[in-house]
Amino acid sequence: MAVRSPQTGIDTRISKLLNGIPPLARFTRSRGVPFVISWAHRLSGLLLVVFIGFHIFTLSALTTPAAYADKMKLYQLPVLAFIEWALAIPVLFHALNGGRLILYESFRCRRDDVLLDWAAGLTLLYAGLLALLMLLGNQNVSAVFFWLIAGSAAAAVAYALYARIGRTAHAWSWKLQRITGAFLLVMIPAHFLFMHLGPQMARDAGLVALRMQNPWIKLVDAALVLSAVYHGAYGLNSILNDYVGSKELRWVGSGAIIFVMTIAAVAGLRLIVSI
Amino acid sequence: MKESYSLVFNIKRFDPEKGKSWMQTYRIEAGRILRFTDVLRKINKELDPTLAWNSSCEHAQCGSCSVVINGRPMLACELLVENAVELFGTTVFTIEPIGVAPVLRDLVVDLEKAYDRVHRIRPFIIRPSQNPNQGQEYRISPRAMEGYLEATRCINCFCCATACMSSHRGFMGPNAVMASVVRIMDPREDATDERLQQLYSEEGVYRCHTSKACSHVCPKEIDVAHFVALAKEGEFS
Repeated sequence: MAVRSPQTGIDTRISKLLNGIPPLARFTRSRGVPFVISWAHRLSGLLLVVFIGFHIFTLSALTTPAAYADKMKLYQLPVLAFIEWALAIPVLFHALNGGRLILYESFRCRRDDVLLDWAAGLTLLYAGLLALLMLLGNQNVSAVFFWLIAGSAAAAVAYALYARIGRTAHAWSWKLQRITGAFLLVMIPAHFLFMHLGPQMARDAGLVALRMQNPWIKLVDAALVLSAVYHGAYGLNSILNDYVGSKELRWVGSGAIIFVMTIAAVAGLRLIVSI
Repeated sequence: MKESYSLVFNIKRFDPEKGKSWMQTYRIEAGRILRFTDVLRKINKELDPTLAWNSSCEHAQCGSCSVVINGRPMLACELLVENAVELFGTTVFTIEPIGVAPVLRDLVVDLEKAYDRVHRIRPFIIRPSQNPNQGQEYRISPRAMEGYLEATRCINCFCCATACMSSHRGFMGPNAVMASVVRIMDPREDATDERLQQLYSEEGVYRCHTSKACSHVCPKEIDVAHFVALAKEGEFS
C-alpha cells in the first residue's frame, strides 16, 4: 500500500507551515491538518470564553467613570496593548475557521484546501490592519454608521444560515449555536476593528456611555452579548459532552456552565440597559 | 533502496491477569516489503511468542488488525515496512491498541464492544420501502447509488473512531454515523425519521467537530467526514 495523502490531504501553505513545526507535524501526519486546525479552534474558543468574562468585568467599571479611566490607562501600557493586539489573532482565526466549518457542513463547500489558506491569510491581514490602526491611533468613525453596516451584514449572514438550516430536523440548540456563530463571524472582528477605528470613543467613559445610550447601539450590543454568551456556553458544554464519561458529572458540569454564563449575560445586559 | 531495515518496535502490552500494562521494546531486522503483521509474526517466532495481536484476512478486508502506529490508526496488514519508514521518517515505531474498546491483551481489543455502537444504529434496512417495480428486483438508479457507493466500502476497522477528535465516551463514532447515512441514502430504506432521530441525538452528529481525522486515516480511502457532513447539512430532513 502506498501511504497516501488522502482525499482530504490538504496541500496548502498552512499545511506546509504546520508540517514544519515538529510537535504539530506529528499530528498533521497522523490525523491530518484539519485535525490540528480543529484543536486550534477549540483552544481559541476557550480563550475567547475567558476573554468575554474579562471584557464584561472591565466594562462593568463604566458605572464609575474614574475607575473605568484607570483601567483604560492600564490598557495603554505597551505590554497590554500588545496582548490586546495578539488576542485579535485567535479571535479572527476562530471566526474565519468557524465560517469554514459552516460552509463545509451546511453549504457543502468541500474546498478546504482553498478555505484554510484564506482563513490564515485573512487572519494575518486583519492583524496587520489592526496593528496599523493601533499605531496610528488618530482615526475616527461614526459609531451608529459603523454598527449599522456591521450589524446589518452580521444579521444577513446569520439569516442566510438560518434559511439553510432553520427547517431541518436538527436540535434547536445546535441550530442556534451555528446561527450565533454566523452572526459573530462578522460582529466580533467588527467589534475589535471599531475599538481601534475610534480609540478615543473606547477609552473615554463619557463617550462610551454616550454611544451606548443610542437604542441601535444598545440593540447591537445586547445581540452581541447574548450571541457570544450562548455560543461560548454551547462550546463549553460540547467539550464537556465529548470528554466526560459520567452522565452525573456531565449534568453537574452543564449546570455550572449555564450558571456562570447566565451571570455573564445578565451582567452584560444590565450594563447595557443601565447606561 | 534498502533491502531491509533495523526496526525498533515499542509495543504497548497488557496482561489482563495482573491488570498491568507496560511498553516493551523489540529490535528486529525486517525486509522492506514485509507488512507490519509479518513483522509482528516475526517477533512472535524469533523474539517473544507471548505477544498478542489480532488479524484475520490480512488483505485489508476484515479490519481486525487495526492498531495505532506512531499515533496514527492503521491496518497492520496493509502497511509495508518501507512505506512506514517513508511515512513517519523513522525506523522506530510505537504500536498501541486502538482506543475504542477495552483491551483484552496487548494489541487485541474487544471488537464485540466496539461493534456495539455500529449495531445500535442497525446497519441494515429497518423498514423496506415500497418497490416501484412490483414483482421484480428493486432497481436503484446508478445516480442514486453513486452518492453513497464509496461509503459501502467501509470495513468497520474503527480507525476513524480511534482518530476522532471527539472521545469515544459520548459519540457513536464516524463509521456508525456513516453506516446510518448510507441506509438513509439507500432508496430501499423507509425509516429515515427513526435514523435522523438517532443521528440528531447527543451521541450523534453533534459530537462531530469536522476535524476530518476520520477521512485522513481511513484505510479504504473513504471521505468519512463528507458523509457525516451530509447528515449535518440536513439533506435528509
